[in-house]
Formats: sequence, structure tokens, C-alpha cells
Amino acid sequence: MKSIIHRIEIQTRHEIELINITEKVHQLVESSGVKSGTAFILSLHTTAAITINEGIPDLEADISNFIQKIVPDDNHYNHARYLPSDGQMAVNASSHLRQALLGFQVFFPIENGKLLTGSRQTMYFVELDGPQYRTYVVQILGE
Amino acid sequence: MIDFHTHPVMIKELIDSDPDLDRNIHEKFGFYFPPQPLECFTLEMDEAGVDQAVLLPIDVTTAHGCKIVTNEQVAKLVEQEPRFIGFASVDPNLPDAPAQLKRAVQKLGLRGLKLDPSFQRFNLNDKKMAYPVYQAAAELEIPILMHTGLSWVPSGLAQLSQPINLEEAVQTFPTVNFILAHFSWPWVDEAVMLAVKYPNVFLDTAILYSGTPKNAFKKIMAEQVGVDVMERSLQNKIVFGSNYPRVDIRRSVRGIKALELSQPLTNAIFDGNARRLLKMEVNQ
Repeated sequence: MKSIIHRIEIQTRHEIELINITEKVHQLVESSGVKSGTAFILSLHTTAAITINEGIPDLEADISNFIQKIVPDDNHYNHARYLPSDGQMAVNASSHLRQALLGFQVFFPIENGKLLTGSRQTMYFVELDGPQYRTYVVQILGE
Repeated sequence: MIDFHTHPVMIKELIDSDPDLDRNIHEKFGFYFPPQPLECFTLEMDEAGVDQAVLLPIDVTTAHGCKIVTNEQVAKLVEQEPRFIGFASVDPNLPDAPAQLKRAVQKLGLRGLKLDPSFQRFNLNDKKMAYPVYQAAAELEIPILMHTGLSWVPSGLAQLSQPINLEEAVQTFPTVNFILAHFSWPWVDEAVMLAVKYPNVFLDTAILYSGTPKNAFKKIMAEQVGVDVMERSLQNKIVFGSNYPRVDIRRSVRGIKALELSQPLTNAIFDGNARRLLKMEVNQ
């Protein structure tokens, strides 16, 4: 069985941003030579998510707006203090909680060398504390 | 909008080119977040609505045997990114500090001086070592951004950064504009007293010590100092400073905006006061 790992780096440009990575992931799978298996797509961060939804701008705006509404910036968060291990103020509890709700990974089967996804399923890397230079991983497992 | 208080300690291109700087940022400055490309800095400014940022190096040659970014590196960053405004730092414990400052301003084009008595280990009222540097700043007609109050540097001694100890220098050098960083927390009352009294004393908003920027600005600026006092007596005395990257610029800007200050005071904090200190054209 093959295990192919790709680390993909992206520069995000906004505090909250949904970046469509669908095409990139499909390309990686199709060029991998794996005919049957699974592809895992993971964020390597705790304030950036991976999620699936229908790829249209109004839904992207709804996801962005709603996640900010249900996890507001202003709340009595414990994670709002100096963090000696970073040498920074930890003031981004809302970014962590938004990521906890959206999740950090998705996976799809690979069938006949292609990713098996629904026709409306779009993969997003979701920046929740940008702008930052970020990395997500695509692991292709199979034969 | 101008951010008067940023540290170029997270710029990947700079840190990759200087392994000693990388180590000193961790071991001496106490900052451990991984470096990010220069573009991240300017995108952060964009996202916060900040047009220009003052870059602050710190020369700690005597105390720690290093510089947390050199004046030359700051000048190079300014050359690369015109939205940066470069300040110099010199070590007041060194006899040639005034000459170094003159070179940094006249040859490298740096536009102000950053000093940090807690980290650099000097006394604010040291007439033998510090006063010649203040005198050089007077001759060069540049402002001094002075760290005061709490120091996040692991070895930083707050006792060296109590603002009242600067009062005699403020009187002795009336043409030097001293900006007291961090509202001098926890000595906020002393800092406000100096800023209210002396035309050449200013404050920056990089206050954060607990909570979010919104929490801290509300507690210190609105409740301890008072919006009425800021509106009446500190209108021309406060500049916006984030302390990036110890604090992100976006949330700091939002924290100031959440105070719902008058528009003239808001404009003065975010832009006009910094422009006057830097001798830039003031937007109407």
C-alpha cells in the first residue's frame, strides 16, 4: 500500500476566509497513481479548519457570518491572557472555538483513480485567525 | 492610520538570513511564535486598516550581547516595504551611542529612537549615559519611544521603567518628544500625570496585560483614566500602538474603536498625533 503525503502551503489574506482547495486535492489524487484507497485532508493548525460545503459565494458568506455570530469575539474566555510559551498575548479564543466547530479534517474514498465526492461538495481551507502562512496536508493512502 | 509600536521579530526573510537573530529573539526577547513571510505583516496591516507601521529594534549589546534587529536591518526592511517607518535603537551603556544614533538617522534615514530601560538595563535619569543619547535625539529632532511599565522580556526589570524617573529628563530636554509605551501600565497614573503636564510627553496604547485588547482598553483607558480626561486633556497625546506581534493589530484596532471615543480623538489616536510626532503631513 502506498502512503503519499503532500504538505501544501498557502498565504491567507484575511482574518476569516474560505479558500476553495477542491481542484488542488483532485489533482493530487489523480496524479498519485493510487486507484483504490482514501485521501485525508487535514489542517495543521488549531485556528484554521477544513470543511465541506456547496461551493457558492452566498453560502461561503453565510458560513463566515454565522460562525462569527455563534462564537462571538466578545465573551468571557479563559484564553485571554499572556501566553509565556508563545511570548504573545493569547487573544484568539474565538478563532480556536470556531475551528473546533468546523473541524480540522475531511476524507474521501478513491475509486478508479479519482476522488469519490458528491457533485456539489466543495473542499475549503478555512482561515479563522488570518492573515497567516498556513499548511494543510493531503495524505493519499491506497494501491 | 499608523501603528506606532511594532517589532520586526517574526519576519521569516529577515530571520532566515540571520540565525543569531533567530536565537536571540527566542532566548533574549522571549518571543517563540514561528516566523511568517514579510507579506503576512503587511496583510495584517491591511486587515486592521493600518497604512503604516513603526518598526522598533532594541540594542541590548551591554546587557545581553546582541541586538534584537539591527538599525541596518530596519533600514533594509524600510527599503523593501515603504509602508514601514524605521526607528533606530542604540545602547545607552556604550559611550559611542550618540554617534551611533547620528549615523542611524543621518546615514540610514531612521526617524526615531527606541529605548527599553528594562531590557537594556539603564536608568532613565542616568545623566552620564542616558542624557547624551537624549541630547543627540534633541539635536537630530527625533522622537524617543520609551518602553515603560511591564516588560514581557523574560529578564526585563520593570523597576527600571517607572515613568516618574523620566521626569527630570523630560524637563531637561523640552524639545524631545518622549512617547511612553504601554501607557506605562501599571504606572498609568504617573504616565498620565506626565502627559497631562508636559507638552513633550505622549502615550502609546500598547497596554495589554490580561484579557483581550477590548477588555484592557476599556479597563485602563475608559475606566481608570476616563474618556472625559482623554477627550479634554490627552486629545493630542495618545498614539495607537499594537505591540505586534505580541498582540495582533486587528484586535487592537477593534479594541480602540469599541471605546466609541469622539471622532476627533479617534482620528488623533489612529493618525494625527503620530503624524505630528513624525513630522508628516496631517490628514484633514
